[in-house]
This record gives sequence, structure tokens and C-alpha cells, in this order.
Amino acid sequence: MTDPTLIRNFCIIAHIDHGKSTLADRLLELTHAVADRDMREQYLDKMDLERERGITIKAQAVRLAYEGFELNLIDTPGHVDFTYEVSRSLAACEGAVLLVDAAQGIEAQTLANYHLARDAGLTIVPVLNKIDLPSADQVETGRELAELVGCDISEVFAVSGKTGEGVTDLLAEVIRRVPPPSGDLDATLRALIFDSSFDPYRGVVAYVRVVDGELHARTKVHFMATGLDSETEEPGIFAPEAKPVARLEAGEVGYLVTGLKDVHQVKVGDTITISGKHRASEPLPGYREPLPMVWSGLFPAEGGDYSELRDALDRLKLNDAALAFEPETSLALGFGFRCGFLGLLHMDIVKERLEREFGLELIATAPNVEFHVVRGEETTVVHNPSEMPQSGTYDSVEEPMVLATIITPTEYLGPIFELCQSRRGEMIDMKYLSPQRAEVHYHLPLAEIIFDFFDQLKSRTRGYASLDYEPTGYEPSELVRVDVLLHGEPVDAFSSVVHREKAAVYGRQMVERLRELIPRQLFDVAIQASIGSRIVARETVKAKRKDVLAKCYGGDITRKRKLLEQQKKGKARMRRVGRVDVPQEAFIAALRVDQRAAAEGKK
Amino acid sequence: MTAGIYVHVPFCLTRCGYCDFNAYAGLDHLQNRYVAALLREAELTAPEWGSESFTSVFLGGGTPTTLKVADLKTLLAHLRDRFDLAPNAEVTIEANPDTVDRAKLDGILDAGYGRLSMGAQSFDPVVLAALERLHDPASVRRAMREARAAGHANVNLDLIYGAQGETLASWETTLRETVDLGPEHVSAYALTIEPSTPLGRKVARGESPAPDPDLQADLFELACAVFAEAGYGHYEVSNWAKPGFECAHNLGYWERRPYVGLGAGAHAYRDDRRWWNVRPPEEYLALVEAGKLPVGGEEHLEPSDAHLEEVFLRLRILEGVPTSWVEPGRAEPFLESGLLREDDGAFVPTERGLLLLNELVLALAG
Repeated sequence: MTDPTLIRNFCIIAHIDHGKSTLADRLLELTHAVADRDMREQYLDKMDLERERGITIKAQAVRLAYEGFELNLIDTPGHVDFTYEVSRSLAACEGAVLLVDAAQGIEAQTLANYHLARDAGLTIVPVLNKIDLPSADQVETGRELAELVGCDISEVFAVSGKTGEGVTDLLAEVIRRVPPPSGDLDATLRALIFDSSFDPYRGVVAYVRVVDGELHARTKVHFMATGLDSETEEPGIFAPEAKPVARLEAGEVGYLVTGLKDVHQVKVGDTITISGKHRASEPLPGYREPLPMVWSGLFPAEGGDYSELRDALDRLKLNDAALAFEPETSLALGFGFRCGFLGLLHMDIVKERLEREFGLELIATAPNVEFHVVRGEETTVVHNPSEMPQSGTYDSVEEPMVLATIITPTEYLGPIFELCQSRRGEMIDMKYLSPQRAEVHYHLPLAEIIFDFFDQLKSRTRGYASLDYEPTGYEPSELVRVDVLLHGEPVDAFSSVVHREKAAVYGRQMVERLRELIPRQLFDVAIQASIGSRIVARETVKAKRKDVLAKCYGGDITRKRKLLEQQKKGKARMRRVGRVDVPQEAFIAALRVDQRAAAEGKK
Repeated sequence: MTAGIYVHVPFCLTRCGYCDFNAYAGLDHLQNRYVAALLREAELTAPEWGSESFTSVFLGGGTPTTLKVADLKTLLAHLRDRFDLAPNAEVTIEANPDTVDRAKLDGILDAGYGRLSMGAQSFDPVVLAALERLHDPASVRRAMREARAAGHANVNLDLIYGAQGETLASWETTLRETVDLGPEHVSAYALTIEPSTPLGRKVARGESPAPDPDLQADLFELACAVFAEAGYGHYEVSNWAKPGFECAHNLGYWERRPYVGLGAGAHAYRDDRRWWNVRPPEEYLALVEAGKLPVGGEEHLEPSDAHLEEVFLRLRILEGVPTSWVEPGRAEPFLESGLLREDDGAFVPTERGLLLLNELVLALAG
């Protein structure tokens, strides 16, 4: 086995698009980990979705052999939704390459990731990337980066992941600066699970960092958080393809075929130890249960696809321990599931995978946060706006708050203040990273962030501002439930919980939008928004008076019949709310957050 | 069951922006060949129809009156020769007010065309311009006067309402002028925007407004009132006639009786089979001249198709759908809201119901 002093466990952390995957590609090439003919871009991003979006969703751990050293590169997801998962990946390392696009400068996720890495006690190697770009500003970005990590500017490395310039030196620097792992080979086994995947043939594969002791095949092990025991099947490493090894020793990173069949039994952050009375007394620190932050109802566009949706969600959950779901019945949308996600990106990914990998057509309700409804001593958790009790029936409502970090060129500070103010934000502080760039902290309700905040931020700052946030707990808030009624019938899918001051505006927007979307019926249809019994907005779709085609002669009859058959099919696809027929498209359009935001922008 | 003969004449002086019929301007040089092809096609297809007795002929277009009187005469004589056509059969020819003078009108009647159907469209110059019609209201009055003088005793005027610029007032003028001219029959069509027409493209590009269905409904109701007052019976969604002057040929379509179709793009129907000729005149000519039937396509109606057609056609001609055909409970909401009435064991649309016929069909055909 490798002498622990020759092992380096490190990761690359960066804001999205700062070149993490490209640098990883260069490292794979430099260490000859992948044969030239097998090399492709974003080698470590295996899912189509990751490659298309240029993001990392699942962590990867790849072992690189270089000049006698064993280098374990752990590729981490880099999005705010996956902060907990990132923190566990970082806990598996001793060092982190903090990568910053020299043309862009420090961004919000640079900060968030840096703080996570520092809190995990990692050695930070600050690196400027993309120095081949004409717009790269090595001096200014280097200064920002040096200031952030508290080093001298001469200690900031400069590379180009694209051309490979500086990458060899960087690897030498990682070896020089990042300390070897310090685990105790003779102590009882403790291995940290930093990710897992489900293999249909082999069951759950855990990605592990062995902290103490040794991990062998055919050993009885104990999962400390879940309390489960199993017999290990196979330890191995990714080089970068899976390769079995006899054992993984303290300090090493690799995988373990766990012998378990359910990914929920193998939780990120859990500690694996030996089964029985010799097991470790203390788990590794930092474990917590995955906590859905954002909820949305997912309904099959075709009612008959309900069981297919359930099967698809079950299958996705095999590989995604953070996904939560429970059956939901909507009067308007039929049978579906209320699903909980780590954040908006996670929600998008799940929805896209359901549609793409399982061929489902889905209607998603607008995302919402989880509210706490307080009645005396009792607190009820509500994660579906239509289940929110009417005001007056409880003492208070609490909503989740976040601390948001925004980094922006100073010229956009005005629009950002305006946006945050309009989203019930409270400024905590602001500091200048340079005369041109500022870092702002806001206390904001999460509900406001998930309501197209990121899109608004991008459009108001022409894409130059970056955002990251961390939850800070629940706080009481003046929230009310707004219902939308069609011809007197509430449409549960359109119910929303919003701040009292914004409720009327929200109601008016929904009502106006629906007036455009609901086709005329045989009677006048009233569209109303209400808060409790109070109507705050109303529109009417006037009864339709004419749909007949004027002419119907010899050749028209076939055409006319086909038209009627089409209309019949169209009608069959409509959802019925009371007496009102609502086309699927109307639901989809009305529920699209960006459309609603567009309506808001017009105001 | 009696049958009808439809003959399509695809020639026009100009193409109107709203029209999606199989009609062409600038093909007049094909007329001689075309007439010969019609005669030939009649010969080719007549054996299939030997058992059928015919009670109507309809020359539609296009503008059939662009053909020479002599050709029209030969054509009808030939049809009488080849098909078992009743001596008193209704023989209609469509005419454009600008293509008929007194001599033509005399000739048409003499040739045996006893029913004249003229495209008046509107008496409002603004509406005529929006429809890209060349004639002016005066030429309709003139053509009507000359038709009467020539002895035409069964005349239809076609009207179109709801084009750009149409108002209740302009439509009322058109209706009054029409009634004053005293035709035996009137067809009044709500302008329908067909995507494949120049007007359809204009509307799609936003250069021309789409007709307002609510205004068209008002215009329809006004037409119903004016025609009723003037003694015309409303016997199909868009058709009114003095008693006894209902168009026998068109009723054939709506009562699902058989019909032969001759000419480019013409449709034929018998025994739940519908088929149609190729549309481009040159293609039609080439096939017929080679001695082939110019069939371009066909469909066989499944029982469910036939049922759907039967339902919507019966509703269109106010004959109504027998109550026993309708699933219990389906008609009631429409009876209550006054779109249907029950009459002698059938559900019949009211005037408001006629305008919402699609909804009625979808509900009643189940």
C-alpha cells in the first residue's frame, strides 16, 4: 500500500464556469490517467445533464498516479443547492484548489466554497484560471484572491486549463503544499461517505474516505447514522474507471460496494465502522439528514401516467437520497406528487430527468418553501400552499430565511438594492473587494429567492452579479394564502402563500394572466383572487357566442369532421374545474414562474 | 335516393384575398381543353353511376360564367346524355356580377341553367375592398336587374359578413339592399380566415385584424331578423330561401345523398366513401386526357365518422338529432341555456345554438 506521506487528497472548488472541469481534464491528461483515445471534455461529468449544463451534480473521486505520489482528486458539485454534499466532499480532503476565472474575478460561490473549505480546515491553493483570455486581469483578480485567502499575491498560482499552461507547476505545488492525510492506520475503522450511487447489479456503491483503520471486502461493517449493518463486497478506486483493490487504508479515497440495496441506507456524511463491540465510539463529525428546502407539485400531463410517474420517482430516488415525495391529489391537476428538493437547480434536474429519462410530460406547480404554522404550543409544517390554513385560525406563520451573499460590479449596486428591497430583504453589510466590485450581504426570505430571484438578478446586472446563500432558520412573517377561483371554485394548483403586502398584486397578476389563458366557455367565467373571504381581484371571460364554420359543402365535410375530431381530443385533454374547461397549456403557462415574473416586470 | 352532379370550373378573373377555393386567375388559355376534359371525365365515370337518378347539377368555381355559353350548353347536354338526370332537375350556375351581361344571362338560361347564384358579397364598398372584390355595389344591382329581364326566376345572392371595416350599420345596408332586390335565395357567410390565403397570411402577420367573433354573432343575428321579416326561411346555418326555393343540390350534401364530382379538385360521395380529384388543373387535364380517372384521394367513413357527420349535418340544417341518439343528460344543459330546443322527438338548435354548433356537436355526438 501507498506510504501515507505520498498521498494527497484534494478537490477543486470554483464558481460555475470558472473552468473546474477543464482543469480536471488537464490533470487527467498530465497524469496519463486516461488514454488519449478515451479522453473527452468534462471527463468526470458522466451524466448527459452535467455535460450539457456544464455543472457537476454527483461527486467523483479519481485516483491519479504522479511521480510516485497517489493523488486523489475529488470533484465536487458546486451549486448552492448541494452545499451539504460539498461540505462532505471537502471533509474527505486535506487541500483545495480554489479556482477563480482571471477575467471574472471572485464570485459568490467562490466565497461560499472558500468558507466551506476553510471551515473544514483545508489547505487552500489559490489559483487564477483562464489566463490565456485577453480579458484576464491577473493583477486585479490575483489581488482579490490573495486578500480573500490572506496570502501574498506571489503565492497565487496562474494557469490556463484550456492551454495547459502552468498546470504541471500547479500539480507540484499541490503536492508541496497540501499535507498528507494524518489518519491512524491502527485505530478502528472510520470511513466517511461523501457520495453514493446505485448500481442495478451491485447495489449501493458508497464513495468513501477512510479516516482511520482499513476497509476490506467481506467484512461486517456498521453505518453509524442509520444504525444498519452489512457485509462489504468490494473496495476499490476510480482510476478513473472503477478498479477493485484489496483494501483501502487510512488516508485513502475510493469506493465501497456496500452490500446494501437501498441508497437511503447509505447516507452522505455517515460514518462506516466495524460491526460489533469493537466499533468506533464516535462518528466523524458533520452528519445531517438531507433537508428539502423547496417543494413543488409534479403532475402527469396525462392523468393515466400517474403510476409511471410514481415508478420514475422511485427509480430516481434510488440514486438521489435528497429527493422527497409524497402523493398529492389536486382538484385541478389530478393525481400527482408533492416533491421536496434541495433547491431550484435540484428541482430542475429532477424534473428534466423525469421528462427525459422516463419520457413523462409533467405539469409542475410553482415552487414554494416549507412554512411553519404556529398554534399555541403546536407547530405544523406545511409544504403545500393549498394546505395553508386561512388567516385567523393560527397564531403566527414562520418562513425560512437565508443569508444571501451577492458579489457584483459596483455599477449594479443600485438595481440590486432595489431588487432585494422589493423582495423583503434587509441589508446586513457591504464591503468593497476593489473599487469596481462589492460584496453585499442580505437577510432574505427563501421564498423570495426561489421566486425567480436569480433570473432577476442576472437580468438586472447583465449577468455580472453572482449569488449564494445559506439558511439561517425560521422567522415569523406576515404571510397569507391567496386563492384563485374559477367560476367560484378554488383552483388548488394556483394557491400561493405570499406576504400580506404583496398578496393583492399577486392576485391581480394571476387573474389577469388567466383571463388571457382560459378559453371562452358557453357562460361568463368569473376569475377571482381571494384572501380568505375577501375578493382582491376579479376578471371575467365573456361567454363565447360563435364557433360554427360558415360553409359546409361537398369538399368541406371531411375537413369539418376532422376539425371536430381534433376539438373532441382537445376537450378530452382539458381539465375541468367545476364547470370550467381549462386547457393543460393554460395551467402550464399560468404556473410558469418566469411568465409571472414577466408580468411583474411590466408593472 | 336521388343524387347530384357537381362540376368545378377553376377559372377566375382575379384571385380574392380571402378565397381558398381551387380557383386560378390567368389560366383561361386552358378553357377549351378543360371543357373537353369535363366531357371526357363524365364519360369515364358515368358507368359507375348507372343505377343512380340525378335531380341536381351545380356548376361551381371559380367563376363558371367565364366559360363560353356554347360550352356551357354542350356541357349540360352531355351530362343529360351520360347521366340519368331528371328533366326538371335543379341546375345551378355560379356567376360573378362582372362576368355576366344581358347576352350572357340570356344564353345561360337558354342553355338550361335555371338557377343563378351570384357573388354579391356586400353592398358596402369598404367591405368589398377589404375582400379584394373588383365589382362595385352598382354592378350587383345591374346584374340582378338584367337577370330578371332575361327571365331568371330562381336567383341566389351570396353575402360575406365580418370583413375588416364591417359594422352593424354597413351590414344592415347590405341586408336591406339584398332584400330589396328580392332574390329567391340568400347565402350569408361569416368571413372565415383560411391560413393558406393571402388574407390568412396578413392576419397571421398582424397586418390585418382577425374577424371579431362577437361582432360576427351580432351580424348573424341581424341577418336572421332581416331575412325572417322579409319572408325567407332559415334552413341551414348560412342559407335562407323563399318557401320552395331551398337549394336541392346543397341539401343533397347535408342529407348525405350521393354526388358525382367532375373537374379539378371536385369531391364525390356515395355509400360512406368520399373521394376527390387532383386539384391542379394541369394535372387534372393530363390524367383525363390520358383516359384515366383523375382521382387524387379517398376516404372510407367508419360508422363513427358517419355518425359524427350525420349529427353535425342534421344540426346545421335544423332537422335536429333524434333524442334517442343522445346519451341521457347530455342535451339538458343546452336545453336549459337555450341553445337547443326539443321538437317532435329531436334536439334542434336555436338561433343562438346555430352559432355555437361545434359545442353542440361535441356534446350530442358523444
